[in-house]
Amino acid sequence: MGFARHVGQISLLTVRIVMAVLQGGVSIKMIFTQAYEQGIGSLPLVLVTAVLSGIVTSQQGGYQFSSSVPLYVLGSVVASSVVLELGPVMTAFVLIGRVGARITAEIGTMAVSEQVDALVSLGRDPVPYLAAPRVLASMVVTPVLVGVANAVGVLTGLLAARATMGLGPEGFLYGARLYWHSWDLLYSLAKAFVFGFTIPIISVHMGLITHGGAEGVGRNTTTSVVFMIITVLVVDATFPPLFLN
Amino acid sequence: MAEEAMIAYEDVHKRFDTPVLSGVSLNVVRGETISILGTSGTGKSVLLKTTIGLITPDRGDVKIDGESVYHSSRTGIRALRRTVRYVFQYAALFDSLNIYDNVAMGLDPETIKTLDKKVMLERIANSLENVNLDPGKVLSKLPAELSGGMRKRVGLARAIVGEPRIILYDEPVTGLDPVNAATVNRLIMSIAERTKVTSIVVTHDIEGALEMSHRVALLDNGKLRFIGTPGEFRQSEDPLVMAFADRQAAARAALKLIEHETSDDDNEPGSAHAVSIGV
Repeated sequence: MGFARHVGQISLLTVRIVMAVLQGGVSIKMIFTQAYEQGIGSLPLVLVTAVLSGIVTSQQGGYQFSSSVPLYVLGSVVASSVVLELGPVMTAFVLIGRVGARITAEIGTMAVSEQVDALVSLGRDPVPYLAAPRVLASMVVTPVLVGVANAVGVLTGLLAARATMGLGPEGFLYGARLYWHSWDLLYSLAKAFVFGFTIPIISVHMGLITHGGAEGVGRNTTTSVVFMIITVLVVDATFPPLFLN
Repeated sequence: MAEEAMIAYEDVHKRFDTPVLSGVSLNVVRGETISILGTSGTGKSVLLKTTIGLITPDRGDVKIDGESVYHSSRTGIRALRRTVRYVFQYAALFDSLNIYDNVAMGLDPETIKTLDKKVMLERIANSLENVNLDPGKVLSKLPAELSGGMRKRVGLARAIVGEPRIILYDEPVTGLDPVNAATVNRLIMSIAERTKVTSIVVTHDIEGALEMSHRVALLDNGKLRFIGTPGEFRQSEDPLVMAFADRQAAARAALKLIEHETSDDDNEPGSAHAVSIGV
């Protein structure tokens, strides 16, 4: 029952955001501000995650393949793993922790301190003011961050393969190209786009329904993070049967 | 005073876990200042929030100038909201905006588009001056950099900058020391006198309410228990009104006693910190 209510409220919030965009009620400046905060602010952590993902995948793959299959296959494994899975999902997890939690806590604090009520009383709709800029910015920024994470992950995978397995860039890239589908990148960015929508829409919704003072903000932020992680994993599991088969 | 009802609460019911408002009907006359008193949890703030749709009643209606807040078109409700401003208990200033932007939010978005920047600055500065704040000192500050009393006054400035016809005050002196509370009460009176705005004040400050209001209402268990002039309130023989007034008197006596004890403590060496904590 509670879950259905959340889904209904999030659907309604989505419709209201679309209406606000269509009516031109969303400030471009606010979208840019949010995009900067979400994108530039998250970039260092996304890079660290991407670097480590690339290195770990390369080392694990190299360890598994060293005596069974040609080592150049490692290029394919690293490229596919990073682009199809690790790049989008690890970036999504970073954004859940850094952006999603922040949005819920920020809007939740506004809700419990009556700032959201103040907006309404001043004739401003919280949807174009608070929700739409955050959601739109994230839908633009997340695919860009995932693109960067993919490139960095594959590059560090290449470097790690050379350093630890002795596989040169030519061999790595040969393997990567051998099993590469141009659709893979689109698949990765499409996943990022969906994550870029689900993370802020859940966090904004959980922020707006916050009540009960500081305890309420803490409770809703935790619940929001749990919802976002589960949603990202469910979306991630839904993508392959829908788009890879 | 003309007897035309500007705000009409018609049989307003609201229930959360338990009933909060159980059929409140009240007419507020144009230009009138009315204070709503009552113990905590009697639905005063809920009633105030139904005036602009921050809380929707389960039953009943609220009308402003004869137009329903709940059965009007979206455009109609937006137009109604433009005429009403709400002063929140803890000011509800926007943390991320400086004082200039906070007060500017009190202007209608359409008005902002048409106003020259210089004119807008002038209007915002005037509003701040009207609540005894120095624009030069506070305009660029963030709300967190101001004291509680100053934040409340910025909240007042935000309410009056758009020249509304109705101002709703939700416990405007709660959390303030007696000096700041008196200042805020005087500001509410002077705003009402100067602008002829219709005001509804939800408060626990009975002395302030009796001083500033044309009429006083007492809510009890979600129902209107008493409505009348301050004189009628003082002379009422309704046991609850008398008990309420007595409680206020008792509270004031207790406060005086505490203040007396605090000032005694303050005279002792090493107790200077108690002053700042107490204030």
